[in-house]
Amino acid sequence: MSGLHPYTQLALATLLPALAWLVPGPRAPAIALAAAVALVLGTPRPLRRLAAVAVAAAPFWLFLFLLHPPARAALVGLRLTTLLGAAAWVGALLAPGRLVEALVARGWSARAAYLLGGTLAAVPLVRAHARRIGEAQRCRGLATRGALVTRLRAVHALVLPLVLSVLHQLDERVLALETRGLGAAVHRTPLDPPADSPAQAAARWGAAAACLAALAARIA
Amino acid sequence: MTRLSLERVSFWYPASDRPALCDVSLRVGRGEIVALVGNVGAGCSTLLCVAAGLAPRVTGGRLDGRVECAGPETAGGGRVLLLPAPWTQLSGMGVTVRDEVAFGPANLGWPLERIRVAGERAMARAGVADLADRDPLTLSGGELQRVMLAGVLTMEPALLLLDEPTAELDGDGAAALWAVAREEAGRGAAVLVATSDLDAVPDLASRVVWLADGAVRADGAPAAVFADDAIWREGPGGPAVADVWRAAGLAPPWPVSVTAAARAR
Amino acid sequence: MTPALSCERLSFAYGGRPVLRDVSCVVAPGERVALIGRNGAGKTTLTRLVAGLERAASGTVRVGDWDAGRHRPDELARRVAVVFQHADQQLFARTVREDVAFGPLALGVPGPEAGVRVAAALAELDLGSVASEHPYDLPPPVRKLAALAGALALAPSLLVLDEPTTGLDRALRARVARVIRARAAAGCAVLVVTHDVAFAVEVLDRALVLDGGAVVFDGAIAELCRDPTRLRTLGLREPPVAALSRALDLPGRPVRIDDAAPIVAACCASGGLPYIGESHGPT
Repeated sequence: MSGLHPYTQLALATLLPALAWLVPGPRAPAIALAAAVALVLGTPRPLRRLAAVAVAAAPFWLFLFLLHPPARAALVGLRLTTLLGAAAWVGALLAPGRLVEALVARGWSARAAYLLGGTLAAVPLVRAHARRIGEAQRCRGLATRGALVTRLRAVHALVLPLVLSVLHQLDERVLALETRGLGAAVHRTPLDPPADSPAQAAARWGAAAACLAALAARIA
Repeated sequence: MTRLSLERVSFWYPASDRPALCDVSLRVGRGEIVALVGNVGAGCSTLLCVAAGLAPRVTGGRLDGRVECAGPETAGGGRVLLLPAPWTQLSGMGVTVRDEVAFGPANLGWPLERIRVAGERAMARAGVADLADRDPLTLSGGELQRVMLAGVLTMEPALLLLDEPTAELDGDGAAALWAVAREEAGRGAAVLVATSDLDAVPDLASRVVWLADGAVRADGAPAAVFADDAIWREGPGGPAVADVWRAAGLAPPWPVSVTAAARAR
Repeated sequence: MTPALSCERLSFAYGGRPVLRDVSCVVAPGERVALIGRNGAGKTTLTRLVAGLERAASGTVRVGDWDAGRHRPDELARRVAVVFQHADQQLFARTVREDVAFGPLALGVPGPEAGVRVAAALAELDLGSVASEHPYDLPPPVRKLAALAGALALAPSLLVLDEPTTGLDRALRARVARVIRARAAAGCAVLVVTHDVAFAVEVLDRALVLDGGAVVFDGAIAELCRDPTRLRTLGLREPPVAALSRALDLPGRPVRIDDAAPIVAACCASGGLPYIGESHGPT
């Protein structure tokens, strides 16, 4: 799965939620979600990832059941969870470097490709940064364990400094990248373009066709 | 032959009335190492950004005066800037150190073979050849800074700009970095380095430029620049050896290094 | 008297790789100790154990009479204040003043007293003029001082500083030195992790050297600085004054600027030193 071309990975990750949304009836979202869960189980640390998906989906489920009749709520809930599951899978698998290489090999400019891939690449760095901020806050007396209120307060204390410091670092990061030639008018040399195959390309077209067919069936 | 020439350069950051650089004129020649010293906020980092062609192009703001960088006609003008914090310089594109180092030359559109050869050479010189297959995210700050140094050397710059390059490095690491800077100068590059490590300056640089409030207060050989009491009273001071002579109440010029102090006249 | 910090046969491994081996040390109140070693020697890991962020594999860390392994970091903040290496990860508020107040308020110190502590910490580091600024509007070295002020406001009995002088100019280093001396004189134990041996020898008394996770030296820092071979094997830079003393064979082998200056003055007066004075030529 991780050897697939990034375009294929993205196509698959888009296909599942698209089918969940477009194909009418409750079976499609359930199957799509099952497929997404199966994919996530194939990633490193699958249980933690599934737990994260569950935690992210929980508030949505809560509001859906409060606002809608159960059948509808379950339907929309399944669709949303499929989207989150697919996002979790592609987030685990898609290496930003490979995506940038794939884009550049297709003719994208380095800067545009980096804009897309760079945001993904930033995720582990931001996560590490968040952990450090949390530790520093605890060392200054902020309690983070215990009652729910305490935990929420701890998360709240973390968000603004994290966002601000990430934004702030962005300025320096842009300088560092530009000096290493990112803005150069020359076409970037692909270092190790991910391998594509006619089968994968066909699969991608097939996925797009399936989505269109589902859309057409829905409209008709 | 002059590699870098700043002529009466003034620079204002966006939305700022106070100039970060005031009428700065500075030249760095082929094979020269010039040290830029000054108090925090004096403008050393800004000057390096201007010299690197990043200000005002990337930072925004206004520039008066002329900046010229003469070098091989590679994209980017053959100049690179190394920043103090390695984590913000990480491109994130490389799964291995080798890929990370190759980021720069790949952006310049070099052929693969040239990238590979230049990368191996740069990693060896920066002392990170044994880390070539490691994931950059698992490295310590010091190791990562040396990887970023390799990433910069691999672009074979004609003008090498270093902003507090030894901030994350220990004694051995710092000594190795200064050795690399000397090697680069030996190969004909021009090197401009902003540093607060004043003890390293006399053995490293043939010239010292003291920047205060965005303006050049002094520009000369280390012994001359550190002989001026003003740099001690109002500026960053100087090497510890000179500090000893100064604290002893002796008249300037003072020795700026242990070798200078030990040398018989 | 209970030591401010005591480590007994501390061991810690990271992913199977041993980082600290059988480390034992004691720091008394009012002592100024340098924790020295090359990158990767285990210094930062030790500070994390003291802060309660990690649990030792074996051995104990005691902060005062508390076992650090049995307390959470926010509880330990009542005894020990740690300033980590990178200030950007330790600044949380919109102004410097608010940030310095974060600690005391989190510990439950009543408002007025917190205000007093904040004002005192800002004054100690001459940060009064930037107290209303946003931390990210300040130059990075000044941010480091803001993070230090935040730790001082916790009124700790043990202050742990991780590389407090990197990137600082002479004036800012002098402020840090002043704070260390003042707090130690008031009874706080100060542990400074650094590879800036030159700063350490000027401001601190004792050196605890880690190499490969084990303690290889625990004694007067001046004694360590007079041993260049040892410094070299440990990957440490010989402080310039110590190198000067050695090269000129100064009597008493001073290692601090203020100790060396009068000796150099005397030697110059008696004509016993080779350096007479140089014109402005290259060295």
